[in-house]
Amino acid sequence: MGRAVGDGLRLAGRGLVYAVLGGVALIAIATVVSVLGPMVALDLYTPPVAAWWTVFTAIAVQGIPFLLLGTVVSAAIGAFVPERVFRRLLPRNPALAVPVAGVAGAVLPGCECASVPVAGSLMRRGVAPAAALAFLLSAPAINPVVLVATSIAFPGRPEMVLGRLVASLATAVVMGWLWARFGRDEWLRLPERHAPAAFGLRAFGAGLQHDFLHAGGFLVLGAAAAATFNIVVPRSVLDVFTGSAWLSVLLLAVLAVVLCVCSEADAFVAASLSGFPPTARLAFMVVGPMVDLKLIALQAGTFGRSFAVRFTSVTWVVAVVSSVLAGWWLL
Amino acid sequence: MRRYGPAALLLLTGGAVLRITLFGDLYLRYVQPALRPYLIVSGAALMLLGLTTGLTTAAHHDGHGHGHGHGHGVGGPRVAWLLTLPALALLLFPPPALGSYSAGRDAAQRAAQGVGAFPALPAGNPVELTLGEFSSRAMYDSGRSLKGRTVRMTGFVTHGDDGTWYLTRLQVSCCAADAGTGKVEIRGTAADGPWPADTWLTVTGTWHPKGRLGTDAAWPPVLDATSAKQVKQPADPYEKR
Repeated sequence: MGRAVGDGLRLAGRGLVYAVLGGVALIAIATVVSVLGPMVALDLYTPPVAAWWTVFTAIAVQGIPFLLLGTVVSAAIGAFVPERVFRRLLPRNPALAVPVAGVAGAVLPGCECASVPVAGSLMRRGVAPAAALAFLLSAPAINPVVLVATSIAFPGRPEMVLGRLVASLATAVVMGWLWARFGRDEWLRLPERHAPAAFGLRAFGAGLQHDFLHAGGFLVLGAAAAATFNIVVPRSVLDVFTGSAWLSVLLLAVLAVVLCVCSEADAFVAASLSGFPPTARLAFMVVGPMVDLKLIALQAGTFGRSFAVRFTSVTWVVAVVSSVLAGWWLL
Repeated sequence: MRRYGPAALLLLTGGAVLRITLFGDLYLRYVQPALRPYLIVSGAALMLLGLTTGLTTAAHHDGHGHGHGHGHGVGGPRVAWLLTLPALALLLFPPPALGSYSAGRDAAQRAAQGVGAFPALPAGNPVELTLGEFSSRAMYDSGRSLKGRTVRMTGFVTHGDDGTWYLTRLQVSCCAADAGTGKVEIRGTAADGPWPADTWLTVTGTWHPKGRLGTDAAWPPVLDATSAKQVKQPADPYEKR
């Protein structure tokens, strides 16, 4: 008893010392930076640099709530849901589990930042990678929030919403099957974290902290890449390509990768690209939630670089093909 | 000290998010008003997580040396340190709202829609409109509801090639990364500044019909200004798309 109290006191004392030292250091740094900063900044802070910082922080700020939601769900799966639950819910046969997981993507209401950590923890919980990957691709594209946003962005054109749903789901399922048939486990490097025995509240906290910091770092990396493209490539360059139907599909599919617009907003951006044919705009909305710079960074961090390179490039091709087919059929 | 890295990063990130949402309107430079509650909850949750992480680390440090089969070492994942960039930027020098530079790089867009009758404008003279509302009524309203009305709009100044100038506002649907440009050409001697670019103005005037409805000739819409007054940048610098 006495020892516990002593330990507690020592801990509190140490905390106080760290807080005071850290606080003094922070204040000192803040003072120096806020005095010297403006002098240096005035020379370097040209309009493009300022716009870069704004876009960069905007993407990071926008991503944080969704990333936190995703990591809370993934940490909860890791800490509270035993493996047998997924074994019972999903068909044993991967060929059947893939479409089930793809449709299940509709239940995670968020944009793409949330789905990467969730897919990672599903795999750690024994879900077949093919099924988890189908979920990863479909969740940000076909959830109700995104579909409602699409119908608002394209008023009076329900075929656009249907086209998005069909093409996205098809891409997710095809990618799941492709992985089940051709994927190799050695491409996939899941970070092996806390001991498998870890379960319960403490494991939840540790998993949440680790996943958020890890994914957050890659979100910042992706935001920096997206902001750079946003500032370097003016959108008016696009108008050159509006003439050819084929070129415009490919161009908007590349633009979706580069712009990293969050999947809840990309329909509004697609609606504003009014010079392009509907199929090209559909491709923009199908590719965007599945492949973009921020996602590539997040996937490389969660599943390893060799996975991210292979998976995202094939996903891009499949997404373009399925949106062309869906566009030809529906639009 | 490195072992407290994760806790410090969480506190820093949470603190930055709370600073721009709870203590002021700075978040409006980056995201939509609707995101505020989620940002506040996230910021608070991150602070809480940072505190518990710090305390657990301290307890582990004091008690039994902990075995870390972590793969990242004691300090947590190294890539996480990148989070300090946006966090410190928000805490020390919050980046400004996008302005005429972004508007100038981006060909102004208009949401394509069909020509049709719009609902009646609210009563009152002058009637307060966003640039987006004015533009879509000027371009697509077969009922010509703007005719004979005095309108008032707020935006910043941008300049065209041949001495024309525009009242401009960036339109955002999710975050500043998807900003598009809306603009209205301002004519009339009463409003002549000449205002430098990025000056925020509230302009009052009447619609100057131009071109056939729904065609490129009707774009950008024109306002015959009767007065222009310099104002402070509004808390929300963008318009909802």
